[in-house]
Amino acid sequence: MTTASAARTPGVDRSIAVEQLTRQFGDLRAVDRVDLEIPSGEIFGFLGANGAGKSTLVKMLATILAPSAGRASVAGFDVRRQQGKVRRAIGVALQEVGLDPLMTARELIVLQAQLFGTSTGPARQIAERLIVTVGLEDVDARKRVGDYSGGMKRRLDLALALAHDPLVLFLDEPTTGLDPASRIDIWNEVRRLNSEQGMTIFLTTQYLEEADKLAGHVAIIDHGRIVAQGTPAELKRGLGEEVVELSFETADGAERAASVLAGVAPQCRLSDGVLRCYFPVAAREVPGIVRALDQASVPLRGLSIDRPSLDDVFLRATGETVDHAREREAGEPAPATVTR
Amino acid sequence: MTDFFILIVRSLRTYLRQPAAIIPGFAIAVFFLFVYSAGLSSVARLPGFHGSYLAFILPVAIVSAAIGGATLAGEAFIRDIGSGYFTKLVLTPTNRLALIWGPIVAGGIILVAQVVVILVLALIMGLGSATGPAGLLVVLVFAFLWGMAFSGFAVFVALRTKNGAATQAATLIFFPLIFLSATFVPRQYITSSWLKVATDINPTTYVFNAMRSVLIDGWRAGPLLVGLAVVLAFATVTGALALWQARRATQLK
Repeated sequence: MTTASAARTPGVDRSIAVEQLTRQFGDLRAVDRVDLEIPSGEIFGFLGANGAGKSTLVKMLATILAPSAGRASVAGFDVRRQQGKVRRAIGVALQEVGLDPLMTARELIVLQAQLFGTSTGPARQIAERLIVTVGLEDVDARKRVGDYSGGMKRRLDLALALAHDPLVLFLDEPTTGLDPASRIDIWNEVRRLNSEQGMTIFLTTQYLEEADKLAGHVAIIDHGRIVAQGTPAELKRGLGEEVVELSFETADGAERAASVLAGVAPQCRLSDGVLRCYFPVAAREVPGIVRALDQASVPLRGLSIDRPSLDDVFLRATGETVDHAREREAGEPAPATVTR
Repeated sequence: MTDFFILIVRSLRTYLRQPAAIIPGFAIAVFFLFVYSAGLSSVARLPGFHGSYLAFILPVAIVSAAIGGATLAGEAFIRDIGSGYFTKLVLTPTNRLALIWGPIVAGGIILVAQVVVILVLALIMGLGSATGPAGLLVVLVFAFLWGMAFSGFAVFVALRTKNGAATQAATLIFFPLIFLSATFVPRQYITSSWLKVATDINPTTYVFNAMRSVLIDGWRAGPLLVGLAVVLAFATVTGALALWQARRATQLK
């Protein structure tokens, strides 16, 4: 069993290495030749829309799914040949929580710790500590998990993932469906685990803000392939230093503006009637933009200068915003997105 | 061994939190005991029948309780798979055999407790055992083994189908196992030739024979050894099927 002291010990391998990892489901290639190198002690944000391949990759790294091709190692152990060692080294909180509804929170944590080799007394202490850590200390201790809210279940699932002090923690969309306060609690806990225990944390998310706030490095996956990778700052810089954001009276005006500015801006993206154009120095370009739109008789409603966001990075990498991707997955028609 | 013990305790705890899953099977067994011992007791006056009808019908009540109790394990796997908790258990370094046998043995412990209550009720109703308390212990052991064997079958179906309704439906095998046998009268009084054949190939018949021999006839090696061989063979087959399916369920997909 790994211990907290082992987790803090320098030189303990807590890295994740992925090489050409692929997973095929029939005709669908859910993960397509993915390469990742995540050093020990990193919080790694893995971004993508629903169905992009995030959970499939996590399940392969957590030894739940077998790779169709390629290789991966977690904490120095091969996910295919050393499953037992990988399982001892990792904690996993999947998108779908896995809890017995007939048991209480303490019973589940104690059982989890015992199954990782902790004796009953220390397992009970771990349960008490983790109950406080995930903010469930005010819940009636006799309450069965089946009566918990979705947010409470998610927090308990995180506690179970931590019961054996893992070296590497996989969190698959840990804050999806949580209220803002619970989300911030989880963020704080993720930061604490990383800074105090040196835990490597692989976090998948649809929330760009979450990756931006927590992760040292991020990768964006789309249709099973990594389409962008780097630190949030590097990825944003890759788009240009500044953004001119233009809004219009009508959707038609926005589309006309996009074609008018094709000759002015090196790169523009239109989404939800808002046009964002990327420049090295935005202020210098504003007069030219206004003049071009005026000459083309496109009425402008608003103009502002902004810095590129991770949403812009996602938009460029995948061709759509995260919100649109979510709506598409939910079966709602996405607003017209023009990517030039 | 520790994992095994931990998982038995966990299963016992969750079984006892579902009285609705335990009580119906137990109630049916008690119903058999009261209704058939009262309603069919005149069978004991047939020429060639020896012993009390209560001792004759008691194994039917016990086997029905054993089968009812054995379905607990199958339903527990369905619940764990449905809730995603089975994946969590698979991701622990737990011994795979403990993962499968913990819930099965816990189901066996519940059914032993039920059988003890049924035996106490039967003793209150006037049951006499030709072999004394040791014979009652033998009855208990047979009930436990038969329950284990049937649990193996229920777990196999649960892991194979991952479907609660299918697992429930599989327990319908209860009816041929209980009723296509020398259930209410000794074999020599069965007139239908097809029912005689069914009785001879039904493994439950030999469990009934073993239990009845210690309750009515005294210590006789023949029925006991045949009964033991049949129940162990049945348990080996269903246990192997459950383990095979469990290996598939816990392997990388």
